[in-house]
Amino acid sequence: MTLSGLITTSLLLALAAGCGRNERMDLIYGQRCANCHGTGGRGDGSIAASLPTPPPDFRETVQRKSNSQIRRVIAEGKGAMPAFDPALRPSEINDMLQMVRYLSREGRDLAWWEKYDTLIAAHCSIPWESALGLDDAPEKKP
Amino acid sequence: MNLGLTSCLVVIALSINSVGVQAVAHEVQKKTVERRAVVIPIDAFTLVDQNSSEFQFSKLAGRVVVVAFAYTTCPDVCPLITAALRQVQSGLTTDEHKKVFLLTITTDPEIDLPKVLANYGKRYGADFANWSFLTGDQAALQRVWKNFGVGVKRKGRGLVDHTPLTAVIDRQGKMRVAYVGPAPDAKAILRDVRGLLAP
Repeated sequence: MTLSGLITTSLLLALAAGCGRNERMDLIYGQRCANCHGTGGRGDGSIAASLPTPPPDFRETVQRKSNSQIRRVIAEGKGAMPAFDPALRPSEINDMLQMVRYLSREGRDLAWWEKYDTLIAAHCSIPWESALGLDDAPEKKP
Repeated sequence: MNLGLTSCLVVIALSINSVGVQAVAHEVQKKTVERRAVVIPIDAFTLVDQNSSEFQFSKLAGRVVVVAFAYTTCPDVCPLITAALRQVQSGLTTDEHKKVFLLTITTDPEIDLPKVLANYGKRYGADFANWSFLTGDQAALQRVWKNFGVGVKRKGRGLVDHTPLTAVIDRQGKMRVAYVGPAPDAKAILRDVRGLLAP
């Protein structure tokens, strides 16, 4: 594969699959999502059984959703799920989109990882937000 | 990279990530909700409802009022409290709808603007005819929180620790029952409401 082909494949793959997890994603997911969705996204969080509608197992639902559909649910809420816009910044909502994608494919077979994990790791090691000028301004203190 | 090494790395990565989330998860302890019989006069207050209209608590005189404290991006206790209030509302008879009012008062006015509260109420299927979602300026809310004995501590944007209080107010404006905990029982609240409605 040529270098340009490798880069293009990496970008397309990352767009389709999202990057792996990082500490910021774990922190936000742990604070805002895990109580309902569970630490692994299986819909088995500590309060899930008490909710009016049980949260889904990401592995069964997320694969069928587009990024814009998932982003809309995170931003606008659905049923008992909070609307995280404007509490989360757009980049943080994107983090949660990637986290949801990541958790939804934890059950992927090893052949998939064998084929793509090196490309994903390479893509995700690049600070894209900074490179593309998408970094957030620091939060203003009240 | 061979398959065995890849599988080991994947398993290790997933294990580390799982520990990471568990370390920061905002766990809700499965505590029993505590029901306290109290007699606490509630001072008149004016806040802003989900329609951006002024809301005066004094206009509810003569009605039994169920008051809950919550915020819309709450990741733990509030969804359970608001779901319980929804059950209370749907459990009221047509006659009781006219005599009982529900209030959800935000603990996060920074995020919970009227429009945000309106969308929150709609998502829970709230009937706004006798259920209002209130916000206001920080000073006005602080007076209300204090009167109800609700502690509020901002931890971050859209992340607030607060006393999980659901209160039942009698027709004379006195708090008579305080439920403190994550998931008050709607049937128990309805029993208290009907007890206070009885002549």
